[in-house]
Amino acid sequence: MTRRKALKLSGMAAMAAGLDRLSAIAETPADYTLDIAPYSLEISPGRFIKTIAYNQQIPGPLLRLKEGVPVTIGVSNNSGNDEVVHWHGLFLPPEVDGAMEEGTPHIPAGRSARYTFTPTPSGFRWYHTHTFAGRDVKKGLYSGQYGFLWIEPRENPARYDQEFFLALHDWNAMILGSDDGSMSPVYDYSTINGKTLGFGEPLRVKEGQRILVHVVNTSATEPHWLALAGHKLRVVALDGHAVPSPQTVEMIHLSPAERVSVEVDMNHPGVWVLGEVRKHVMSAGMGIVVEYAGRSGKPTWNQPQMLEWDYRRFGAEDVAPPAESSGDLKETAIPLTFESKFTGHGSMDRWMINGRSFPDTETVRLTFGQRYRLVFRNKSMDDHPVHLHRHSFELRRLAGKETRGILKDTVLVKAGTEAEVVFTANQPGLTLFHCHQQDHMDMGFMMLFRCI
Amino acid sequence: MALSLFHSRKTVFALFALLLGCVLHASAQGNYEIQVYGSDTVLPKTTMVELHSNYTARGSLFTTDGTYPTNHQEHETLEITQGLTSWSEVGFYVFSSIQDGHGIQWVGDHIRPRVRVPDSWHWPVGVSLSTEVGYQRPVYSPDTWTWELRPIVDKSIGRWYLAFNPALERTWHGPDIRQGLGFSPGFKVGYDFTREISGGLEYYADYGRIGSFDSFRNQQQQVFAVTDLNVSPKWEINLGVGVGSTSATDHLIVKGILGRRFDWRRPSPVE
Repeated sequence: MTRRKALKLSGMAAMAAGLDRLSAIAETPADYTLDIAPYSLEISPGRFIKTIAYNQQIPGPLLRLKEGVPVTIGVSNNSGNDEVVHWHGLFLPPEVDGAMEEGTPHIPAGRSARYTFTPTPSGFRWYHTHTFAGRDVKKGLYSGQYGFLWIEPRENPARYDQEFFLALHDWNAMILGSDDGSMSPVYDYSTINGKTLGFGEPLRVKEGQRILVHVVNTSATEPHWLALAGHKLRVVALDGHAVPSPQTVEMIHLSPAERVSVEVDMNHPGVWVLGEVRKHVMSAGMGIVVEYAGRSGKPTWNQPQMLEWDYRRFGAEDVAPPAESSGDLKETAIPLTFESKFTGHGSMDRWMINGRSFPDTETVRLTFGQRYRLVFRNKSMDDHPVHLHRHSFELRRLAGKETRGILKDTVLVKAGTEAEVVFTANQPGLTLFHCHQQDHMDMGFMMLFRCI
Repeated sequence: MALSLFHSRKTVFALFALLLGCVLHASAQGNYEIQVYGSDTVLPKTTMVELHSNYTARGSLFTTDGTYPTNHQEHETLEITQGLTSWSEVGFYVFSSIQDGHGIQWVGDHIRPRVRVPDSWHWPVGVSLSTEVGYQRPVYSPDTWTWELRPIVDKSIGRWYLAFNPALERTWHGPDIRQGLGFSPGFKVGYDFTREISGGLEYYADYGRIGSFDSFRNQQQQVFAVTDLNVSPKWEINLGVGVGSTSATDHLIVKGILGRRFDWRRPSPVE
């Protein structure tokens, strides 16, 4: 059984189970509406990408929700395919989280649905489609179905002169053979907020401002490195969670689905490029102009020569193991080994967790309130940005090095390394865990937890 | 679709047996570079160096049209291919022959520019076009100057690999100068047993002039059982044993290709 078949079966069951609930909320007025429909995106002058989008715009509308205040979002599906919207990074019940594998009903083509939930936690989240794509590189996360979610905290001590939301995306995928002997997606174009460098509106700033930039990597499969010429970036949050040790860096790195929020002091007037550090990706379009008031001219780019990123820089300074009496020691370890299975140079690899591919992976039972330590062992030749739905986890160990205090919902487990995270099972029901690379999750890199 | 016939390992072996059954005659062919081309080109700032070693275990025993007999000839061909752009390359060949009584002999040289359909065109199959021009000494080929136009189409489908090279040949100097365009197709079907080991069949033929093919006995027909070892992106290893069926084809040939890719790009993480 493939993910596609499993989705159909689970979707049908979830639809039957969800009909009563949906009809009960059918009359609830929507606070926001999303219309999923075909859209032609002009990424550069005269160059259009035919895709699927929310509300005829890419990225979809920024939804500013209030933490703890219930909200209803109406979604109409005019895409021609079954769809579902996942609210990435929120702690939601499985019925509305937006993954059919967990039990969220899909929205049949031509139909509508309403998602009613109470958003939490606060911070920078995003929403996106969560459907199977397989070799159809126009569907799923290859499409333009993504948008920003900003969950306003009950109290917000931070004040900024301006806030910007940026989404990194890659377009026109094709599945080609790669050096590791299997098929992988490669792309023609890369954009920030749906535009190639120089085509979209610049980020307009003023000297002396302190701005906050929220960046999400919405690419189906590609990691990205971002730098702002002439400026340093102070990382204040990862995946929407404030980091224990904000640090100033030359560049940020985002695997698919990761978010990084950075402060920038605008103290170097000019016209600059905020762009992908790797030359071939910037030449594919990934960049945006940052323009100071009263300044004009050709944007300046200072090409970095190295790629630098380490999550642990933002962790708590004290990484000593907890005392014997600490409840931290009561975590139950769950080892998860990632491996690939070769299926031919003309195929994408099949992916396995503990020797099995979804939907044949084991559904691990969790006890409500119990702490768990997920021990990731990546025995494959690929990096994997793994995502746990409906929870956040704390990074504890990366490639053999301890860390503390960094909360995330997606973490990159590099090829051939191990990583450990801990979380509390406090969300009853099914929780999906998967690699956020569309090709990997489609080829079996998924599993479920069931919290009772 | 005809390609869907190749849906099991048994089918390949059945096809192999069928082709072998059709191919039980013999004689000579210029076996210097025995390869069905894939559509990929060498990357820019990258050089591929290949050594083609072909040994004719059972070939022609007598001098024909002034050419040496092929029996027990060892052909060593050095192929150097330089990537020009992401869609073009140029290859150079140095042909040599080793044989008792003749020692090591230079046979000739060819040059082969090639272009391919860029990935950005999103074609469902790989397509490239090569053209090869060169000279070979008359004691090894009566036709001393030849030109070849080789369309290349290939496709990987799961574990299967298919490549077709419907080559057209033209003699520019030699007895066949008035023969017009000859048709020399090559075909390969491969199967990935593992990530590193593939096996399959390669078929090579020279049917003669287009519009007036040679009689079957005068055509050149060879089938090779081959294996490709994908041990590293830097290395190319291909081994095979081939049989010729017609009287114009060598009976038994053992071939090997050892290739090494040299990347001259300065390694930079931001490139």
